Formats: sequence, structure tokens, C-alpha cells
Amino acid sequence: MELEHTLINILLWFALYVIVTLSLNVEYGYAGIPNFGRDLAVLMGAIAVGGIVNRILIALLGISNPNITTASGMAKSTVDGMIAQNPAMGIGLLVLILLLSGIVGAVTGAIFILPSAKLESDYLAITLLAISEVALMVCYYNTDIVGGYYGCPTPDVLAFVSGGMRDVVFTVLVLFVAFIVYQFVERLLNTPYGRLLKAMRENEDVIRAFGKNVMITRIKTVAVGSGIASMAGVLYTLYTGNVSGVVYIFSRVSWTFYPFLIVLLGGAGNNRGVVLGTLSFVAIQRLLDEYKHNITAFLNLPFDVNWLQFILFGIMMLLILLYRPEGILKEKPVMTEPIKKLAEKKAK
Amino acid sequence: MGLLEGAIIYANLLVLLSIGLTLTYITTAVPNFAQGSFAVFGSYVALTLSRLAGIHPYHSLLICFILGGVLGWLTYLLALKPLIRREANVVTLMIATLAWDLILLGIIGAYSEILGRATHSFGSKFIFTHLDFSIVGLPAIFPVSTVVIVITLSGLFLLLYKTKFGVALRASMENPSLAEIMGVDIEHTRMFSWFLSGALAAMAGCLLPFKQEVVPATGAIIIVSIFAASIVGGLGSIYGALLGGYIVGLSESLITYEISIFMGTGVLVYGKVVSLLILIATLLVAPRGLTGVKWRKVVKWSSNIRS
Repeated sequence: MELEHTLINILLWFALYVIVTLSLNVEYGYAGIPNFGRDLAVLMGAIAVGGIVNRILIALLGISNPNITTASGMAKSTVDGMIAQNPAMGIGLLVLILLLSGIVGAVTGAIFILPSAKLESDYLAITLLAISEVALMVCYYNTDIVGGYYGCPTPDVLAFVSGGMRDVVFTVLVLFVAFIVYQFVERLLNTPYGRLLKAMRENEDVIRAFGKNVMITRIKTVAVGSGIASMAGVLYTLYTGNVSGVVYIFSRVSWTFYPFLIVLLGGAGNNRGVVLGTLSFVAIQRLLDEYKHNITAFLNLPFDVNWLQFILFGIMMLLILLYRPEGILKEKPVMTEPIKKLAEKKAK
Repeated sequence: MGLLEGAIIYANLLVLLSIGLTLTYITTAVPNFAQGSFAVFGSYVALTLSRLAGIHPYHSLLICFILGGVLGWLTYLLALKPLIRREANVVTLMIATLAWDLILLGIIGAYSEILGRATHSFGSKFIFTHLDFSIVGLPAIFPVSTVVIVITLSGLFLLLYKTKFGVALRASMENPSLAEIMGVDIEHTRMFSWFLSGALAAMAGCLLPFKQEVVPATGAIIIVSIFAASIVGGLGSIYGALLGGYIVGLSESLITYEISIFMGTGVLVYGKVVSLLILIATLLVAPRGLTGVKWRKVVKWSSNIRS
């Protein structure tokens, strides 16, 4: 039972992180945009559930409590009861929330990247980090938006599944979404658009010379990436049943730093590598988390293992940058028809 | 503590932090995302000395300076130098400083719990205001932080303009390759700038708990203000850091206070939003910051419009 639980936990986090890291791979790995504010998109997912859908439900149910945390709790218990009777409603609500978060995330992403019209790599990275950090701080310290540090309960879209099976069903669900995202990203990037992104990463002037608009390409890319990443925010919020899983003080570490670590570990610009990187990272992280009490007891640590985790993953990042910057799986050249012919000629 | 004094104290500390950030940016061309954690490191050094040895934080400023300097030097040596040697690009270097920031956060967090246990009091959240005394009706932190700024600035001025090392340092800031040809050791100037950056940040951190509560994650909260301060002034100029530090530090406190009069105290959260808006506005209007603007041209242009 213990092992089963660990396995399910690893799979759940694997699926969640695959969604985020693939989105980051589109932006950083392919397009070369240093998006140090990935957590903003994930936060938008949490806001789509806790801030928007919850408010709609509260209005529909006619709950007149001004406190968002309390009112959401009341809405949740009513909606959960309805979903338990009617599974179709739960699924419908889930699809609706995912679509909504996709739109909210994409719009936010498109606005978020606008400063890049005037800024280059380091200034851009600072700005993106600053924007997402401030957005997170406001959402955390202002209790009116999504409950802030009190958090805000969200409806359980799987209320019709019995308690013991909920984790399993939810994991399958997230894995399914991750699979769709993988397929989507692979198809999207294996087109002239994907190659355009790689060209933009290498040299913006070249794609300008070919008549492409760099700014529009960037906006499109970050909109797509943020739309995808916000779904991870939604799924995690719905899984824990509270926005506090995303709206918390170390959100930058979980949703920006770790995704960067994974993309670099797996191999920037290579989706398969990123999936592999996610699996390795999540396995390490979840095992550390699962056995943290044992580790504390065994090493006789006078502090929380989470701090140790920060140190370990920070060191891991430095080592990757230093010894294997291309990641586990190296980026491969795109084999289009003309290039294949060229390669054949060369082989002869 | 009055509003204006509070704002000036905060701005003084921000200047110390942004000068450090600018120094390392000029010599190494990488924005240091760990600057906030350098400050928190200083806060914990001061807390340790105060709790274990009974040394007043004002007396531990010098120790903070030295230990912070060592931390800054180690940052360059361990996290950046190996990558620079491999000609890593700036994004890679920034990720390295992010990683270093996370390592520091982990160490500080772990240490805060160890210290809390050793001294049987809470280590993950603290403040020094109860240790402060008053000088002619003002809290001592106000004159102390001002004196620290004055000493720092005059020291920096003497170093940069009156010593041979300062000439070499300025030369390698202006044009690294030319300075290298002239026999300046760039490695030395870089190491020195990282030492100084860490030292100034740790001093700011030593004084910060007199102004606000410090937790291990405080670095992430103040980093936005530090970047805003350095960028508003212009990342390429030390005067810019001074100017930007005061502009951002004062407006963060004062503008937020003005807004809170109209909209209630709930908006006090938005101090960082003010910094962010100043940051973005500067980047859009004058990406090189205030010291990068060619003021003569602006004056000429505006007089042309008038005539």
C-alpha cells in the first residue's frame, strides 16, 4: 500500500511537471525566451479556479458571504454534493475550467511578454521575474483575490469517485492531459512554425530578413506556453482542493526554478528529453519528500528536509550547467525533406 | 518611527544593495539574482552574534562586511567563474545565480531552524527593533544607516578615484579587453567587485531587521526592489545605483502611504507593485536608466519644441 501510494504520487507529479516543462521547453528550449516568470502562468491557473470559477459558482448559488474563503467553502460543499449525484457535471466543470484557464493563461502570457519588444535577454529575464514575483506577492498577501495566505477551497470535480480511488483516477486524468499536451506540442513544433522558433533562438535578424515578425512570433509562443502551463496550475489546484498549493511563498522555486532545472536536465529543445528529465527529477524529489521523516531521523538532521532539497537541487543545477549543459538527450537537427536529401548526398 | 524616517532608512539600505548589484553587473555582466539572499545572510550573521555572543547588531557591522564579502567572493568563484571560463551565455549565468540563490535559501532556512533550537527561541522570523535605542528622539537606525551610507560612498569614491587599483577597476569596467591589454588583471577586479557587493549587501542585511521582519525567504521579496533601483538609475553606473536606490526606496514607502490614505491600509501590500511599475516604466522609456539618458539632448529637444 505504501509503495503503491508512492508510485501514484510520482506519476501524478510527473504528469503535472510534464505539462509545465513542455510549455517551458516551447518558450525557452525552442524559442530561446528566458521566461523566468513561468510561475505566473501556473498562478493564473489557480486564479482561474479559485478567483473566477469560484466567484461564478458563488453568484449562481446566491451565497452572500463577502469573504471569498468562507463563501468558496460553502459553494464547494453544495457543488460537491451535486457532482457526487451527477458525474457528467463534474467532468463538464473540469473541461470548462481547463478551457477557461487556457484562455486566461494565454491572454496573460501575451500581455506578459510585451516588454520584450524593447528588452533583450538579461533585462527581459529580470522584468519577467519581477512581474511574476510581484503578482504572486499580491495574490499571497491580499486575501480578497483568491484568499491569499488563508487559501480558498475549490470544488472537487471528482466528487463522484469514492475516496480511496480518487488519487488513482485523478492521476490517470492528469496523465491523460499531459499526454494530449505532449502530442500537441510535438505536432506544433514539427512544423515550419517550430523551425521558425529555433531560427529565432539562434538569430533574430535572420528571421527578420525572411520577413517574419519577431514580436508576433514571441507573443504567440508565450501565449501558447502560458496557456498550457496554466492547465497544470488548474489540475494541481483541483487535486489538492485548495489554491494554497500554488499561491504560496516558494511558488517561484516549484514552478519556475524546478521547471528550468528539468528542461536543462532533460535537454532544452528536445521534448522527449524533457519528459525523461521530468521523470528523473520527480522520482528523486518525490522519494525525498516521501521519506523525509526517515531521512531526518537517519541523518539526525536538526532541520526540515525541504531546506536540504533546495540545497541539493541548487547544486544539481550548477553541475548540469557546468558538465552537461545540453542535457540527457541532446537536441537533434530537424530532418525535413530537403535536409534529408542533403544528408544522403553527403553520405555518398 | 516617522513615515519619512522609515522611508529614508529603507532607501539607505536599498542603496547599499543596489550599488553591490551594479558593481557586479558592470564587471561580470550578469544580474545577480542572489543579491537579496546576500542581505538575509547578513541578517542571520547579526542575529547569531546578537543571540550567542550578545554583540549588538550595530557592533557586528564590520563582521557582516567581512563575512558577506567572503560569500560574494565564493559566489563568483564557485558558481560563475567556471561557467565564464566555458564562455557560457548570459542566460546560463543568470540561471546559475538563481541556483546559487536557492542554495543560499536552503542553507539559511536550515540554519534558522538550527539556531532556533540552539537558542530556544524562534529563528525563522525575527526583528531587531527592540534592540534599537533613540538618539535625540530619533531611532538610532536612522543616523546609523545614514552614516554607513556616507562612509561607504566616500570609501568607494576614494577607492575608485584616488588609488591605482581604482583606476584599473574603472578601466576594466569601461572596456575589459582594452584594460586586459594594458596589463590589468580582470580576474582581480571581478573578484574584488563580488567581494564588495557581498559585503555591502550583508551590511544592509545586518540593519534590515531594525526596519522590517526578516524570514529566510525575505531575499525573494526584496530582490524586485533591488533590481528596480539598479535599473532605474542605469545598470551601468554606480551613481545610477545611488540615485535609483533613493528614488525607488522613497517612492515605495511614500507613494504606497499616499494611496493607503485614499484606499485604506490594505494597499500597503502594493509597495512592490510601485517598484515594479517604476521598473517597467523606466525600461520602456529609458532602457539605460536615468544616468544613461543624454540629458543635453533632452534639453535641446524640449527647447526646440518650445520655440
